[in-house]
Amino acid sequence: MAITEEHFKKIVDKLVFMKDTSELMIDLAYSSLLLNSQALAEEVEALENHMDDLHTDFELLVLSSGFTPEESKDFLGLIRLGVVTEEIADAAMEIADVVLRGLEPHPILKLVIEEAEETVTRVKVSETSPLVGKKIREAQIQEETGMWVLVIRRGNWWLRPRPDTVIKAGDVLIASGYAEGEADFEALASGVKEPVKQEG
Amino acid sequence: MAESEKIDYEPISVREALTEMKDVSEIMIDLAYSAALFNSHELAEEVLELEKRVDYLAYIIDMNTMLAARDAEDAKHLTAVTTVAAATNKISDAAADIASIVLKDIGIHPIVRKVFEQVEERLARTIVKPDSILVNKKLDDLELAAKIGVDIIAIRRRQKWLIDPSEKERVVEGDVLIVRGAPHGVDELKALAEGKIKELE
Repeated sequence: MAITEEHFKKIVDKLVFMKDTSELMIDLAYSSLLLNSQALAEEVEALENHMDDLHTDFELLVLSSGFTPEESKDFLGLIRLGVVTEEIADAAMEIADVVLRGLEPHPILKLVIEEAEETVTRVKVSETSPLVGKKIREAQIQEETGMWVLVIRRGNWWLRPRPDTVIKAGDVLIASGYAEGEADFEALASGVKEPVKQEG
Repeated sequence: MAESEKIDYEPISVREALTEMKDVSEIMIDLAYSAALFNSHELAEEVLELEKRVDYLAYIIDMNTMLAARDAEDAKHLTAVTTVAAATNKISDAAADIASIVLKDIGIHPIVRKVFEQVEERLARTIVKPDSILVNKKLDDLELAAKIGVDIIAIRRRQKWLIDPSEKERVVEGDVLIVRGAPHGVDELKALAEGKIKELE
């Protein structure tokens, strides 16, 4: 049985998704330290659980390719790549675990992250937000606030935002960008005109 | 088995060491996936070079955090630092594992590479030859991003790494450039570095 290009495309899509998820987890994990944010650390934990499922799906997909013994080496490479991507996700989880265990991050950690990174924020879309019902493309979030939506959590699902993804009330948007845009982004999602001052 | 480098205590600040470790580990991941997907031994070797640097930094961070703890409260705070350093080290180990997949020729199925190539930007390594027009130019004068859509994400100069080099940095003969961009632009930059093209339009 010949392996179809479509099957390969599925494998690649899954791998790209795992890779993106693990990198998102690293960003979120460092951000949880920076902000000493239990909530962000919990997002990392949720993604880690999701990652385990993704990894299993990926392995099953690779194993069901119907490869010949001669091709097995090429597929071993893919399996190992999946394992390593999972290891990166685990490392992100270890970083977030510092926050979950209430080890107050040392000031040095904040300096390290601030020197290297942009900020990450998470906000819930309210019923009255102008974003509700709009596609990501139409929402112009980046143009308006400079923040880039990394991921959307809808119930138990994590969605990678695509141009035609429709934003719903109750969605949790996680975005990164420069700190100046953060207040505007929160105001946009919460449907409150003036930027709201956040506690803590 | 290569001989391990001896480690001596150095009074490098934990902040500096950890910032470098974080930046380097993130570049390593990008390089490692690119090495795997384009089956590039060159990139895989760079990943292993960087891995040595991270291992070294990990020891330095350990020694300096131990010295910094004076009481239980300090120790508690510093545990967060060593945990993060260990996790960052683990990320770089993972990148090195990917590089080993490439160097041991375990391989990734060529068709996967073909599909991936359509979606991903390319990373590549190139060495600056003496007769290259890049020599002695400042990065912001070259305007590589604007002209050919390529970013220099790191420079290796002898044993030293410049991660995310400043715009004021000058290219030196023998520099190893790690670049990112669309395949066409990357090929053009390689030709420029090797002195095969003498003009940057």
